[in-house]
Amino acid sequence: MSASLTKTADSSITGKRFQIKDKYTLFLMALPFLALVFLFSYLPLYGWIYALYDYQPGIPLANTDFVGLQWFTAMVSDQVQRAEMFRVLRNTFAISSLGIVTSILPVIFAILLTEVRNSKFKRIVQTLTTLPNFISWVLVYSFAFMLFSVDNGFLNHLLMSLGWIRSPTNILADDDHVWLAMTLWGVWKGLGWGAIMYIAAISGIDSELYEAARVDGANRFRQIWHVTVPGIIPTYFVLLILSIANFINNGLEQYFVFANAMNMNHIEVLDLYVYNIGMGNSNFGFATAVSIMKSIVSLFLLFAANGLSKLIRGKGII
Amino acid sequence: MTRQKKWAFLVVPVCLMMIFTAACNSGGAGKTGSSSSTSSTETASTSDNGVITDWSKQPEMTLTVFDTLANFAGEQQGWFAKLIKDKFNIKLNIVAPNLSGGAQMIATQMASGDLGDLVVGLGGKDYQNAIKSGMILDWTKDGLLDKYGKNLEKYAAQALDANKKQYGGGTAIYGIGHNVGTGEGPSEGADMTFGPMLRWDLYQKLGSPQIKTLDDYLPILKKMQEMDPKSDSGKKTYGMSLWSDWDGDWSTLAKVTAQFYGYGEGDGFNPGDMILTKADGPEYQGFLDDNSYYMQGLEFYFKANQMGLLDPDSLTQKFGDVSNKFKDGQVLFSQFPWVSNAYNTPAHTSEGKGFALVPFQDEKVYSSGFNPYGGPWIWSIGSHTKDPARVLAFVDWLFSPEGVQETNIGPKGLAWDIGKDGKPALTDFGKKATANGDTPIPAQYGGGTWKNGVSALNNATLATSQINPNTGEPYDYNLWKSTLTANPDPVTKSWREAMGVTTSKELFVKNNQIAVTKPFFNGQPAAQEPSDIKLKHSQVGKVIKEYSWKMMFAKNQGEFDQLKQQMDQKAKGLGYDDVVNWEVQQTKNTVFKMYK
Repeated sequence: MSASLTKTADSSITGKRFQIKDKYTLFLMALPFLALVFLFSYLPLYGWIYALYDYQPGIPLANTDFVGLQWFTAMVSDQVQRAEMFRVLRNTFAISSLGIVTSILPVIFAILLTEVRNSKFKRIVQTLTTLPNFISWVLVYSFAFMLFSVDNGFLNHLLMSLGWIRSPTNILADDDHVWLAMTLWGVWKGLGWGAIMYIAAISGIDSELYEAARVDGANRFRQIWHVTVPGIIPTYFVLLILSIANFINNGLEQYFVFANAMNMNHIEVLDLYVYNIGMGNSNFGFATAVSIMKSIVSLFLLFAANGLSKLIRGKGII
Repeated sequence: MTRQKKWAFLVVPVCLMMIFTAACNSGGAGKTGSSSSTSSTETASTSDNGVITDWSKQPEMTLTVFDTLANFAGEQQGWFAKLIKDKFNIKLNIVAPNLSGGAQMIATQMASGDLGDLVVGLGGKDYQNAIKSGMILDWTKDGLLDKYGKNLEKYAAQALDANKKQYGGGTAIYGIGHNVGTGEGPSEGADMTFGPMLRWDLYQKLGSPQIKTLDDYLPILKKMQEMDPKSDSGKKTYGMSLWSDWDGDWSTLAKVTAQFYGYGEGDGFNPGDMILTKADGPEYQGFLDDNSYYMQGLEFYFKANQMGLLDPDSLTQKFGDVSNKFKDGQVLFSQFPWVSNAYNTPAHTSEGKGFALVPFQDEKVYSSGFNPYGGPWIWSIGSHTKDPARVLAFVDWLFSPEGVQETNIGPKGLAWDIGKDGKPALTDFGKKATANGDTPIPAQYGGGTWKNGVSALNNATLATSQINPNTGEPYDYNLWKSTLTANPDPVTKSWREAMGVTTSKELFVKNNQIAVTKPFFNGQPAAQEPSDIKLKHSQVGKVIKEYSWKMMFAKNQGEFDQLKQQMDQKAKGLGYDDVVNWEVQQTKNTVFKMYK
């Protein structure tokens, strides 16, 4: 493998005769991945056609009524409907923004963790914080229900027996601070996992830089500030830009399991809305139309973030 | 060597491409679902040479059952599995959308173009679309029904005919409706579907105060809560405990209030659940009408919450949690007998504790009448099945007196038998098993426990309150003379003495507190919701559901009224009136015509 690779590299520089041949080899090597991109990213775009039909499962598209842009106009058809879309977008943007604000936490956590000298303690902490990532949201909810339910929840039980509160409160059915609560659940679940990438980035920083800094008399905090932080900023920015592109898709599961009538007003993000209206009630055309709008907004956000990155750091990722 | 490696470079991507395209192809073919007509023709050979009568000699077969009503997925277990294995040499592999995605899974299965061998409970729009795209087998093809449908033709001829007119264009038969029956009066068994039920022991201790209106339950429940503040495990008791995981377009438990007054959602024929329709007359209410029974229901639970009677976990818990609370004695009021029955274990009833029906004076309970045309949860057969004759023979058996009886209470000789007087009676084992579902079953009957051997198909064939021609008694063992006259538990005994009747049904009938639906049939399938109405319906439903719960848990009357106003405003803005008008129009064109 390595032999053929070096040969490839050599020949591309030297002989023009081999150039065409190697091009094909390289292309073939990339082909499976191109095929994957095509299959999973471009082929599904064909499904957008469903936004123009009154699709019903089981009936082929050829026998389905063509409805034109009906589903698109339905999104903004009247005052109340527009208010609904606005509410859903507001929730989406609020929760995503909080998500981006808290995306700095794994960086801080990773730095602090690498500074811990006791490797046993370090490993325990890392395991415990990474673990929640592997728990499904459904289980997280049943865990939350055990903790916070009114009737027999741990927290209410504790506070009541300590005499701090008179009557139990139903935290899960509370419409206040939903955005914050959802963000905190997200942070709890993703902190350790998110830190892994940064820990890897930190261990990739040349140790000579630290030695040089120490020789220059930098203390530990200075070393972090002048060596570690600049070392992982590029990683952070790449992830940040990707997360901005995903600004509008903040997923479904978490909000789906935590949603109830009380907090629906603030928890219903775009994906959950599409699920509730589109999938749950088989309005597939409408669901597709909303998803198309979503993709367009995502594309716009990605280029905006990339432009911003170019402006600030002088280079983008696209 | 290098040549070989280069060759490998070529082969690997090609292989990968092939794998992907192959995977893609099979997926694609499934999606279009139009290649259905070819495979059903080649199945004819099995039944050409005479009718097969003994299916147990045929090779074993596993039927894939797509069952929109099942609450169990996987292979049928226990005594029912043994029963049908012996008779038909079949196993049932049950696919249950209820357990994984609901409507979405039905949509996915529909899009795949194959609904399996036996299709249970599919109705309405999905059923019509499945027929249209060739996924459902026509029973008249190759004379199948004449060869293997003798019981269907004998005991449910009108239902077959109804399906032919509604869905088969007057020639084909694509299935048969559920709960087929003829006769007057309510079709339920000993218990009705709805209560209300109260803790009988506590109600008795209070001196059985009179209950005139729904609201009269509240002060009584308050006193009961004070009398019995702790459950068996020492938890706080509540008047009522609700759950939200069954909610569709409204809060299910608040809607049940309408059923106490003889109204039900929709009209029982057309799709649509934004209107409440009277069971036995041409009257309807919109859900959001000012004094609709739904609004009364919301107000009832709101008041209960104000009095500290409503379980504060009602919104966030699931049905299973509530069922456990009932078992533990944490709840004192139940909307349904089949929910509160969890408390009436022998351990509780022997101490005199148990739930029993305590209706209010204004009540007129909603009851389903017998429907000779069959209900909307249709039994049908997938067009891709390899052995349509055997599947039809199995359905035919399910609709035979023997099949109904044995599906209901197990094979003769195990839980029941014919007594010396020629009448059916539960055996000692049967008494144990029906009182406690965890009773183990002898190995020769399939093993396991009674509960997990019960048929997981979960759909009715013939109405079980009808008389079994083979025994002269109803199919439902709760209605057998031997069961009714058997020594009742102390709670039932006390209730019977106080009420002067033996069953809940008798009590409602005696006091004329019952509204029985009439079967409707006009030879046409029910109307289908146009797509714009459907979208509005979903959006309106979401708003109603959300605000209903907020209203029940409102802090005070002012907030309740304010939320109600907001709900009205928002629902109407999203097209509530359009949806209701469309539904009323359909009902007026069909069901209400019966009363003119």
